[in-house]
Formats: sequence, structure tokens, C-alpha cells
Amino acid sequence: MSAMQGAFDPSELQGNILRGYRRAAVRYAVFEVVKPVAARRWLGRSASGGDAEVPAVTPERSWSVRPDYCFNVGLTFAGLRALGLGAAMLAQFPGEFAAGMVRRAVKLGDVGTSAPECWPAPFDQPARVHLVAAIYADDGAHLDAVQRLLEQGDAAQGLRLMGIRNGGNFDGDFVHFGYRDNISQPRFAEIAEHADLGEPIAPLGMALLGHSTGLEGVSWRVPQPSVLGHNGCFNAFRILAQDVAGFEGYLDQTAEQLLADPRGAVLLPPGDEGRIGAGLTRRAALREVVAAALCGRWRNGVPLALSPETPNPEPAVSLTAFDYTDDRRCPVGAHIRRSNPRGAKIVQRVASHTRRLIRRGMPYGPRFDPDRPDHVERGLLGNFIGASLGAQFEAVMYDWVNLGLQDPRITGSNDPILGVNDPATSWFDLPLRDGKPIRLAGLPRFVTTRGGAYLFLPSLPALKFLASLSPV
Amino acid sequence: MGEATIAQRLVEAVRSDFPDHQPGTRPVHTVGIGVSGTFMASEVAGQFCIAAPFRAAQMPVLVRFSNGSGSPVEHDGWSDVRGMATRFLPGDGAAMDMLAMTLPEFFTPNVDAFLQFTKAAMPQSVERESPWRKLIDMLRLELPLPDPEPGETMNGSAGMMAYANRHGFAGEAVFRAGMIGAPVSYARATYHAVHCFIVTGADGVRRPVRFSWQPVSGVRTTDPTAPAIDRYLHEELRARLAQGSAQFMLMMSVGEGGDALNDPTRPWPAKRTRVAMGMLSLAQVVADQLADCERVGFNPCRLLPGIAVSDDPILRARRDAYEYSQRERGATPCPFAGG
Amino acid sequence: MSIRSASAALRLVRLRGAEAMSGSVGWLERVVDRLPDSPVFQFLARHVLVPFWAWRTPVAVAEGGPVMTIAPGDNVQRMMNLVMKLKDPSPIGRAKAALAIAQNVDEIYAGLNNVGTVHFARFVLVGDHLCMFSVYDGDFTNYIRDFIATIGSVFDAVVALIDGGDAVIPTEQNVEAFIDWVHARDLYQVPDLATDLLNQQRDGSATETDIRRLPRALILQLQANPNVSLGSGYRAYPGFSAAQLRHRLEVGW
Repeated sequence: MSAMQGAFDPSELQGNILRGYRRAAVRYAVFEVVKPVAARRWLGRSASGGDAEVPAVTPERSWSVRPDYCFNVGLTFAGLRALGLGAAMLAQFPGEFAAGMVRRAVKLGDVGTSAPECWPAPFDQPARVHLVAAIYADDGAHLDAVQRLLEQGDAAQGLRLMGIRNGGNFDGDFVHFGYRDNISQPRFAEIAEHADLGEPIAPLGMALLGHSTGLEGVSWRVPQPSVLGHNGCFNAFRILAQDVAGFEGYLDQTAEQLLADPRGAVLLPPGDEGRIGAGLTRRAALREVVAAALCGRWRNGVPLALSPETPNPEPAVSLTAFDYTDDRRCPVGAHIRRSNPRGAKIVQRVASHTRRLIRRGMPYGPRFDPDRPDHVERGLLGNFIGASLGAQFEAVMYDWVNLGLQDPRITGSNDPILGVNDPATSWFDLPLRDGKPIRLAGLPRFVTTRGGAYLFLPSLPALKFLASLSPV
Repeated sequence: MGEATIAQRLVEAVRSDFPDHQPGTRPVHTVGIGVSGTFMASEVAGQFCIAAPFRAAQMPVLVRFSNGSGSPVEHDGWSDVRGMATRFLPGDGAAMDMLAMTLPEFFTPNVDAFLQFTKAAMPQSVERESPWRKLIDMLRLELPLPDPEPGETMNGSAGMMAYANRHGFAGEAVFRAGMIGAPVSYARATYHAVHCFIVTGADGVRRPVRFSWQPVSGVRTTDPTAPAIDRYLHEELRARLAQGSAQFMLMMSVGEGGDALNDPTRPWPAKRTRVAMGMLSLAQVVADQLADCERVGFNPCRLLPGIAVSDDPILRARRDAYEYSQRERGATPCPFAGG
Repeated sequence: MSIRSASAALRLVRLRGAEAMSGSVGWLERVVDRLPDSPVFQFLARHVLVPFWAWRTPVAVAEGGPVMTIAPGDNVQRMMNLVMKLKDPSPIGRAKAALAIAQNVDEIYAGLNNVGTVHFARFVLVGDHLCMFSVYDGDFTNYIRDFIATIGSVFDAVVALIDGGDAVIPTEQNVEAFIDWVHARDLYQVPDLATDLLNQQRDGSATETDIRRLPRALILQLQANPNVSLGSGYRAYPGFSAAQLRHRLEVGW
């Protein structure tokens, strides 16, 4: 398939796929296509460089001067149909994308309080979620300016704004649970300027349709005509509320449990609190030991796999160049190990390294103040990107984050941070250097899904193709 | 509303479903027989539950088998739910009860619904459905109303079915109760403790679980097309135990996230981890049935450290309802409790 | 649905009736009670009643494979019951299928060991059909996808013998289509609880049930899905993945 294509030209891609823009703020605008002719006209203008009335889709490129804003679009299956894509072409998109995120809810663990029936508008009407536009900028004024463009001319005629979601960084790469995030991302040989993170290079087909995938000999179907599907990819857009008060409360509760448990002294020998942080009480140090075990990284991002004893190793360690060859350093069930086992031994050996995701996320909601804990909604606006939702995002969510099929020692448990946990049945094993692990129980659900959609992120030529569809 | 009031209403509601109920007897499962025997915990039982019955090697037990009806008249051969109440006596005056029945689920998920259900199940006079009506049912490929048992003039079947059709949660129990038949022996039925309990393992881990007794001799019901016999279960049990013991395996299913932990109307799938907790061997029918069985008051909430009730509202309500009922009929809650 | 309740439901009438209650029962009643077993009624039911009700209250073809839940026990030891019609059902065609399997034993065993989530897998010839029955952990699509990656060539050899199989080979280049193709041939698994069948047919939307309608629900479902798995089956050691068993039995995973 890829042999039929010319050389890979990254500038044909939307710019938010292979790299993050690293902007301070993001606004997602959710649209329904109401007049396909006007909507296509608007899309065509946007994909062709934009103009005074229409923001340009930002392509993949290196720039010397950062633009004022970046702008990208994703389309749901319903959105492709609403734009006028015919049944024969629609039928070539994968089943999970056609079904949409709502109908895959159980598979993703979106049940109970995370169930789509509980999602607020506009995600309570998934059939009308057609196009999600993302505006990235460093301040609200630029976001507003672009949004105003989206409320006039062809956009106003063709699209109905169903709702917006705002996100913004409050402390660099730190997220609400207090961890540094956005550390490890797949790196592609075709994008030369990626920093060497010391991780294996991912095949382009992990991100984009029409290229070799991580599974030997296997390729995903590229919706035809080639211009429509080639270099496209899929995005699981998720609004994930994070219960920070609940999380910190759980760390309190667990620290108390460990203070009372003699094995707590094996986990953190008394007198060693200083290596966790200067001036920490034993209780505070135990909280951080548990927080690190749940995530697989200390809150400053240092991986347990390289520094199991302290978040401040001397000399410093890489945040990305590590593996799980020493099994005991990082808990098997820790969040980052569950969602990306790297080179660790896993049950599904064929699938090693094949389920990687590109993650682009930005926090939303006010920063949590531990001195004045509140229950205001806050969380992450997450994008989980790959060439196959089924083989990557869904496989990770279903088999690994929940269920824990990849290692018999965690099978039957869910991810301690992201999993669909019920305190009556949840558990997490805290490994000890000697002897049996300490089993933590009673983990509640810390992350609740509040909306989302499966989006297709077309290449720029594909956007122009969609814009050129004959009137319906 | 005080607890006693709910308990009283529950007991009165159940009684009202059986017009010929006799004061001083159990409101349901009125006809029964007491048997003594021993329970032997399996080698792994103590890992999952530290309660005394699962740690001791062997202990005496008292079991009362019963027909589900609150009527004092014995109709062994009628299609009906059967009960198996077990009292574990691990020693030192301790006692733990496990109440089980042949239906794997209960009719309602909470007390209010149960009060409505008992109202709906109030006996109405029954007649065989007319042949014409039956023919129409057949043409509609629908289940006709079950024929009444010979001599049965009143029952709650139609009311229960109507209730189940309005309240989906009752459907499974009503459907299954309608098909349940009569066991050839009390020792040849599976009995389910229905509710979720929380057990604490040797490692301190608490697990939501449900228990079932499975007969070693296998499950068998009578031929539903043969005429029903009114009295045979007690004699059959005496004869069986005179020949040797009757055994039951205690199986414990471990609930999981996503299971209806506190809803007794939803059985858990057979795909849950199943632990063999021990073997019950019944030795003999107790000599003084009145003193050593009929006066004994079982309670599903009489537990020992290491096993606790879940948040199942029906289970929690049963604690007081059984106590109220026992006071009413002058039973001994626990012969070893000194009271 | 338990066999007992299903068969009792299909009997349509609890027959303690006529014989047991002699005297009080009229001849018409006796006839009606025996009707379900009479050839005339059975003929009428098959050729008139079932088609009529299938038209009047249509039941959708139910999707194959296990129902999705979040409970771990439902997501290990899941069943695949694949029933595939042979292009050539003659003894020669059946022998070809037998050979295709026999010639690829190394491929299949190595593939299953490295997919890592399969408890049991076997091929069975039943009449005109080649069946593949397996018990696997986790998601069906991951299982098939990983399997294609390791033994796509064997799938190609087998699927080439199946009616309609040519459209999905080579499987490595038709992953999505092949997964859908397999899913369409995986047997519907009738719910374990009788009333869940009614819930499924109503799409879980309505709150009312009519349990007297169960016989018709079952009959019409079996009209829509002639081959089914009756319930989710018995497991001796439910709740454990293949790797967990290997781990605990200390034979490595």
C-alpha cells in the first residue's frame, strides 16, 4: 500500500499528531454539521491555508517563529457522514470508529459514574458531535479571537457550536494529581528533530494509516480513495475528571495503614525518610512512596525503574531511557508500566511494543490546593492517538489498564490511578524488596470520564478531499 | 420509622401471604426437619475466611431443611422453594448461621419493594386456566399460567407474575420459582445463601462472597407429570441417614467489580472464582425435633468475627425481622447464648 | 438459561394436570394439555406460528461472542465457537480442511504460545462445517489480531476452504475485515439468566418484562440464530487467565 504512495511528506499531516505544540492553553470547540455545503466550504478554506475569516489548519512543520495560535480538526464517523461522505467510503472505516466512543463504553470502562448517560452536554448527544476543533495558544485572547472566527461566515452557516472545553497548564508539565506528565512519547525516524529519548523508534504505521505497523506483516485498512485515508489517524478524545481530593485522601489512608503495619518498615526503613524529600515526616514520606508506586514515577517524573529508592538520584537518571528488566523496582501494576510495558515480559508476547499511543493532554479546572481541598471538577483533556483505535487505545484500556492481562501477578486488578476501581474489590500490590508484597485495597475510582469522542484526524489532502465532495 | 417497625411489617407481610398460618410457628418455611452432622473446612478455607467455622478441622452442625410455604400443611410434592438453615458450632459457645434456599436469587432488591411484593403475592383463588385460554397461549407461543396443584385453591402465582412483569428485578426469581419443582430428597438439592457477605482472609484481605451448598449425591427433582405426594421428604431423609451420611460441598463465589454486590435479585455468573470451603456430613435426624430444631431461631446475620454482612438491604433487614419473629413465636435465638 | 427452565418453557404447560387430576378435568383440557406433543400442533407451530410471530414481533440476529462487562471473571476464559461453512463439503473438501490443520501444527502451537491468552483451541468438522472452538482471555479482537500477526498464513490456508473466505485473504492485509468476518461466524451465546434474553431483545430499554413471553423469545431467537451456545458454560477453575494458571502451577508463562 505504502509503495503506491510517494515519499512521506510530513507537511501533509495536521501538526498536532507527531509533536505537541507545548502551548499554555487549549480550547476544544464541538460542532454539529448542520449545512454540509457551507461546512465543506469552510473546511476547504481552512485546509487550504485559511484567510481573514477562516483559521488555517496548522500543518506538521518546524517553525522559526511560533504562530499566534494553532488550529486542528477531527471528525467523528457521524461527522464524516454529515459532511456527505458516501456509504461505500464510510464502510471502509474500522468498526470501532464507526460505532463511536459511546457504544464502546463498557470496553473502555466507561460504566457507572463514567457512563455516557452521565456525560454533560454536548456529549450527551453523541449523534450530533460531528467535528471537534482544537485551538492552541498561549493566552485566552487568542483563543477567543479564533473562536470568534468560528462563529461567522461559512462556519456559522455550516456548523452549530455545541459546546466548548477549556484547558490550560498551571505548572509546566505537571498535572492535577501532582505528577509531571507528558514525558514519554513515541518517536519516529521520519521526524528528524525529535530528541533522542533513549526509547525504541516507533514505526510510522503506529501513528498513521498507510505505513508499516508494529505487527509484522500486518497493515490496517486505508479508507479509499487513498487521499482520504492515507496519513490519517484516529484520536480517542477524552475528558477525564480527576478526583484529587480522593487521591490525596487515599494516600493519607494508606500512609496510616503502613505506619501501623510492621512491613511498612521494610518498605521504607525508619530513618530513610530524608531520601524521599528533605524534612518530610515519616507519614509524608510514606505518602510519596505510595504515590510513586501507583504511578511508576515519583511525582517529579523520575521513573522507579531507574531510581526505586529516591526521587532525587545522584547522578540524575534519564526520564525515558529505561525498561523493566529488573522486575522488582517498579510495581507490575503501576500506571505507566500497565499502560506501556515497554520491553517487559508480557503475556501477549506478539503484542510487545505494538500498542503505543501518542498522548496529548492538557489539564482543565483550577489547580488543587491541598490546604483547602475542594471537589470542583478538574481533570485532563486527553487525546490518545494512533493508527488503530482497536489495536492500540482500546487494547490498552481493556486488556492492560483494566483487567491486567499482561502479567499474571496483576490479572484481575485495574490500573490504580486510571482504572474502573470499586473499593469493595480493588487491589494493588506494593512490592517489598524481600518477601510478599503488601496488598493495598479499597482503591476508589479516581478518574471519571465526562465526555469524549472517537475522531478521525485526516491529512490536509484528505480535508481538501472532504471539502470537495459533491453536494448532497 | 424504627427498626422494630420495619421488622414487624416484614413479618406481618409474609404471614399475610399464608391465610392458614398458625401462631407460634415460623412465618415461612414452616414445615421442616432438623438434622445433626459435622462440617469440615477445606484446607484453603481459612486463607479466605478467618471465621472459626473455616479454621477448625471439624465441628458439629445443626441443619434444618424446610418447605418454603408458611402453611402448616405439608405438601412435599408441590413445586416450591426449599430451605436449608445451618448452624455451625465451632466450640466455646460460639455459633454461626447460614440460611440458604433452592432459589439462587431473591424477589426484590430492597425492603420497600419486598413489602409491595408480598402484597402482590397475596393468595387469590386459582382455577386451572381454561383450555381455550391455554390454546390461545399456545398459539401466542407463550407460557400458560401453571396449573394449580391438586387440591390447591388459592395461591399467589398470578399476583407474583403480574408484579414481576411490572418490576423487571423480580422476573428471574418469579420465573425460576415457577419452574422449581420438588426435590426427591432434601439431600438432593442445591441451596444458595443468596446474599453477599464480606469475608476477611488470613492476609487481611476482605472479599465480597456468596455461598452455595451443593449435594454430593447430585440434584434431582421429582417427575413433574406424576401425581404429587404430600409427605415423603422427612421419611426419605431418615431412611437415607440410616444407610449412611448425606453430604454437601460448601462453595464460595468471590464477587468482582461490576457485580451486583448488594442486590440479591441478581445472581453472579458462574464465571467468578469459586472456592471449595468445606464438606458437610449429615449424620442423623435430631431426636427431639421440637426442642432441638423447631424452637431454634436461626438468623442470617448471626455471624462470627471474620465474616460480616454486606450492605445488601434485604440481608440487613432480615436480622431484625428474624429476631422479631422469634420473639413472637417464643423461639430461642441461640441456645448457647444463654438467653 | 438452564436446560431445565428452557425445556420446561418449551413444554409450554406444566403437565401435572390431566392424569393427576382425573375426574375434575374435562376431555378438552386433556387434549389441550397434550397438544404440544401432537404432530398436528407441531406442524402448525413450525409452519404457521413461528413464521407468523417472527413476522409480527421480529427478533434481530444476535451478535456472536461473549457479552462485554467490566468484571474480570467475564473477561478471562471466554469462548469462541466459530462455525464456518466449507466451500466443498464432500469428503475430499473435508479432508483438505483436515490436512490444512495437520500441516500447520507447528505454526498453530507456536502462535498460540506467543499469543499467550489461549487456554484451549481445537478444530472440529461437523457436517458441512469446519468449527474452531477456543477458550481465550481478554478481548476477541486482540486475540484474533495477535493471532493474524503470528499465523496469518495458516488462517489464509484455512479460510481459503471456507464459503465466502476469499474476500478476507490475505488476512494480514484484511485485518479489520477478517475480524468482522470471524465475529459474524462466532456463535451467539444465550444469556445464563432466562430473563436476560428478554432484556436483550428489548435492547435493555424498557423496564417491563413479560416472563410468559419467554418461550416465544427463545423460539424466535433460535429462528434468527439457528446455532447458538447455550449459556456461557461451566468452568472448573473460573476467574483465572491462562498465564495465571501457568504461573501458579509453576510451569512458567
